[in-house]
Amino acid sequence: MLNQLLKKLIRTGSGRTRFILAIVGLSVALLLILSAVQLQSNYNDLLHSKTNQDSIANFLVINKAVTDKTVGATSLTDAEITDLKRQPFVDEMGVLTPSRFKVAAQSISDKIPFYSDIFFESVPDEFIDVKSDDWKWDEHSNFIPMIVPNQFLDMYNFGFATSQDLPQLTQELVKSLPIEIRIKDVIGRVTYYGKVVGFSDRISSVLVPQPFMDWANKEYGTTVSSKASRVVIRTKDPGNPELVGYLKDHGLTTDADKTRFSKYRQVVDTVVTISWFTGAVMLLFALLIFTLFIQLTVASCKEEINLLITLGTAPKQLQRFLMNQFFPPNILIVALTLIVLAVLQLLLKYFLEAQHIYISSFIAASTFVAAVFILAVLWLVNAMTIKKYIAATA
Amino acid sequence: MQIDLKNIVPIPLKDKFSKRGSDIWNRELSFSSGEWVKVKAPSGTGKTTFIHILYKLRGDYEGSVCWQRKELRQISGDELASLRQHKLSVVFQDLRLFPNLTARENIELKRVMQAPVCESVMIDEMAERLGITHILQQRAGLCSYGEQQRVAIVRSLMQPFDWLLMDEPFSHLDQDNISRAAALIEEECSKRKAGFLLTDLDEDAHFKYSRFLNL
Repeated sequence: MLNQLLKKLIRTGSGRTRFILAIVGLSVALLLILSAVQLQSNYNDLLHSKTNQDSIANFLVINKAVTDKTVGATSLTDAEITDLKRQPFVDEMGVLTPSRFKVAAQSISDKIPFYSDIFFESVPDEFIDVKSDDWKWDEHSNFIPMIVPNQFLDMYNFGFATSQDLPQLTQELVKSLPIEIRIKDVIGRVTYYGKVVGFSDRISSVLVPQPFMDWANKEYGTTVSSKASRVVIRTKDPGNPELVGYLKDHGLTTDADKTRFSKYRQVVDTVVTISWFTGAVMLLFALLIFTLFIQLTVASCKEEINLLITLGTAPKQLQRFLMNQFFPPNILIVALTLIVLAVLQLLLKYFLEAQHIYISSFIAASTFVAAVFILAVLWLVNAMTIKKYIAATA
Repeated sequence: MQIDLKNIVPIPLKDKFSKRGSDIWNRELSFSSGEWVKVKAPSGTGKTTFIHILYKLRGDYEGSVCWQRKELRQISGDELASLRQHKLSVVFQDLRLFPNLTARENIELKRVMQAPVCESVMIDEMAERLGITHILQQRAGLCSYGEQQRVAIVRSLMQPFDWLLMDEPFSHLDQDNISRAAALIEEECSKRKAGFLLTDLDEDAHFKYSRFLNL
């Protein structure tokens, strides 16, 4: 009831257009700032998540450089592995286990005939960039899942197939192709079926699940436990001079040029920075307009506020009333911005999914925290401005 | 609630007042709760100034005013508002209604400013008694002074109070209306066991005053 009377006395309607402009400005500012937070969060997700097929995080396969001196002695000692693991630039490290038995693969299909001696390697699952439900093995499994390097298929399709007049193969076709795996043991050959379940850009080797490797090495292993000669590490920045220096000092070398990822990173950083900066500046201006608007309202109702206070209206009552007039639009804006952002995130997810980049369908907790934080700042600025001008009028 | 005055003198009128005797200026005196005080003074001797000092509308005076032993200068903000909502009501000489609110809204405002102690129908009853029912829906700015004065009186009776300050509250009313308004005020003050302090130009017998003072 008091509020209805106050509404009649303190008209907040004057300068509506300015208020709406301020609201639009604030919405854009919020969208920019929260997008920046969300982008950063998505980017961090990509950097750290284990589920991305083409993760932006950097994995390096490291081995000793083969030179005249190291020929035949490229295995890594335990001390070398432990030392590498201790380095600050190494987030995680996995050892590539080589097969210790002879193995050959042969096509069952007549249309695509091939036979080749091959070798297997295995690595802990978190270093694998392929997601597949078939990537598991136990002694009762019908087939051995394999992950092969993309380059193999490229070499076949663009080199071998064209020169030998053989059909080119798609990834899907290769995945559906049954392959006979022959493992040589002491008395002869044992035959298994294998299936390619994915293609990897990360480790240039034919990968099999770790449990199969452990089992097969025990069962068919001919050479005595061979030491690991390759390890894979995860690092945040492959361009880190420390890392490069360490590898050089220890006679180690790595594959792949990873500059592609550095480029992604630069783009994301730039976008995030611009978004942040623009958003922050706009937020500042929106706050300024809000402050001016409150000042204007209080000034235009100076006489009414004066008399209200003379009659015993508490400054607290007036502050609460004005707060109720000015603040709720802010909550609405923040809520709307979050909804818009959630929709954008979902669209982005579908867009990136098509490119085998996986991000969350939902906006991040950090975005919510940022939204609540901005809301708190808005509340504080509103409350302080109202308090100041009421006190100045009274 | 007791009011203690200690040698108060309004600074702008200092020279003027120091030359002549007064029961209030530059004296020590106190009003105990429930007293009905009449302050008589000719024009220009500071009646309104006195009321405004007691109500803390001005602070340009020497000496001190204490409400319930608390120095009035130290009461401000929300505490002052609470005093004005629960302990102290006022009828200003210049009435001070919101011209854009209706008469009823002006009264209602004071009723709901704190937790209401009067029912809303009390507005109608009091308006009826003072003969202003017909202007309740009218904008206060359009009412005559006499009507506005009665609206201001009803408004002052809408809240709880220990003291009612009235600054020439009947200046625009005829005898008939004065006696009706006085009866209403007397009733409401008795009901609350409240005291009042009324300033006027002349002697009168509207109330059973317990104390007379010359300003």
